[in-house]
Amino acid sequence: MATPTPIITLQRLAAALTAFLAAFIWLIFMLPSTALATVNTAEQDPLNSFMWPVYRERFLGDATVVFDERVIVNAPEFAEDSGQVPIELDASELEDSGEPITDIIAWVDLNPIPRLFHYSPMSHGLAKLSLNIRLEQASAVRVAVKQGDTWHVGGTYIEAEGGGCTTPGIAGADNDWENTFGELQGRLFANESEQRLRVRLSHPMDSGLIPSQPAFYVQSFELLDQQGQQVAALDIEASVSANPTLGLHMRPSLEGYVIGARDNNGNRFSIGLQP
Amino acid sequence: MKTRFLAGLALLTTPLAASEPVMFCERPLTAQPIAENTWMVEGLREELSTSNCGHIGNQAFIATPNGTILIDSGSSPHFGEALKTLIAQHSSHPVRWVLNTHHHPDHFFGNAAFDEAEHLTLASTRALMARDREALIDNIERLTGRNLARSHIALPDTIEAGEVTLGSYPLMLYAMSGHSGGDLVIMDHSTDVLFLGDMGFYQRAAATAHSPGLQQWQEELNELRGLNARIAVPGHGPSAPPETVFDQTAHYLAWLDQHLSDVANEGLGANHALAVEIPDAFNTIALTKYEFTRSVVQLYPRYEARLLWGTPQ
Ligand SMILES: [Zn+2]
Repeated sequence: MATPTPIITLQRLAAALTAFLAAFIWLIFMLPSTALATVNTAEQDPLNSFMWPVYRERFLGDATVVFDERVIVNAPEFAEDSGQVPIELDASELEDSGEPITDIIAWVDLNPIPRLFHYSPMSHGLAKLSLNIRLEQASAVRVAVKQGDTWHVGGTYIEAEGGGCTTPGIAGADNDWENTFGELQGRLFANESEQRLRVRLSHPMDSGLIPSQPAFYVQSFELLDQQGQQVAALDIEASVSANPTLGLHMRPSLEGYVIGARDNNGNRFSIGLQP
Repeated sequence: MKTRFLAGLALLTTPLAASEPVMFCERPLTAQPIAENTWMVEGLREELSTSNCGHIGNQAFIATPNGTILIDSGSSPHFGEALKTLIAQHSSHPVRWVLNTHHHPDHFFGNAAFDEAEHLTLASTRALMARDREALIDNIERLTGRNLARSHIALPDTIEAGEVTLGSYPLMLYAMSGHSGGDLVIMDHSTDVLFLGDMGFYQRAAATAHSPGLQQWQEELNELRGLNARIAVPGHGPSAPPETVFDQTAHYLAWLDQHLSDVANEGLGANHALAVEIPDAFNTIALTKYEFTRSVVQLYPRYEARLLWGTPQ
């Protein structure tokens, strides 16, 4: 019992060795994933939302899915006005790196109508888009971008309403659409690499979820060249905010574009935008 | 010379004997003397939350021979009660008049504690109170986690801008609208104190949700510069020389206005406006990032409407 304790016991040595091994193994595991930080082929949802497997299956089927940091989804950290939350998608880095992008699908995990839009950039659309959405509660917002046979998924998490000393939604209530219904306004901003279209359509986008208020919303936008050829298409759901305001990014076209829209009651709207 | 009377101030009025500190939300509530017979109670430079129980806005009171004048009453009847106790420690006269600077809940929901007093505000402000009352109550209850006695949140009577005399005490009232659409600014020429309400924010970022326009707000601040006040009491943040408060509020509003215009004029979206680096000068102000985010989301569609769609604002 009185044997003096050596400074390095066998147990301590073993413990140190284990710690060293653990660190080593950790490094081995971490290295490849840090090297490939942009693409995470694991199924682990970076936003940790329990709805991920459900919507992955519903919207993306059994195609290959990767979480990809090149699918950038920008949004405010919290929804100041749950009826109008601006989101912006930018997958241009992914687009520049490989095959053309054929489909872009977005959804909100915890919205009653989860799907936001299905964008087909076709021949002239770029992999960038912005619009305002409704957010029922704090939720993950996802964008899946299809390149080749693979869905590249990005997303962000938006907290529920802020509010503060003022009330969200009161001052800017979007109930002015009755006077301006169907007004489609747009501007085209050109630079060397793209033509940016900013478009606003005065429309209530009633979801039909409120009893006594039938569904009345814009279902699709399309972009045509001056010959009337469809060059990009965007289908939207009633989870897009009232008075949809779109930011579209198109390949430069000398004559600009015509934008058409259609709602579920068969109303059609259109506007031509020239550089 | 006016700055030197503060030491003797306590002798001028006849407060109750030094008493227990007044507590609200587990913190002592204190009144800072800012001029002769004049005190302010500074709210926390925070957003409404369960941990501050809603005490985020400033109040001020003036002890006059005919009764005490209270300017803004806090965000709940419960807070109003604590404020009432605090006032009684400094002024021997009960509150006879409550002036509410604007319709935001942190400025008038405490009125109920002063039911023997006259409650007064501008007609424009009262209309906004009537419009938003229910939603504002919901908001306060949600964010502070406390129930308000809904029926006790009543609307004040109206008073016109101009020179008024409360009892025998004269005040100059200005009707403005830059912050909320109906903003009462009060000048006390007896002490040269200017009570700005939320027309002025100092060391706490400005909230802009109900502003009719950031340029209008700045123009009105410029009008107030002409008053030659000695000290200004903002709606949020500490009192300070008026120029200091005007400069900080106006610089921020000017920067925000320019920034939103620039981004809208390029056809970019609200998220581009959010992505900017906030200048250092504003980053030292409490809640800048938070209020900036709110302002962009609230105001960006209005900038687009004006600059892209040609809709008059
Ligand atoms: Zn306010």
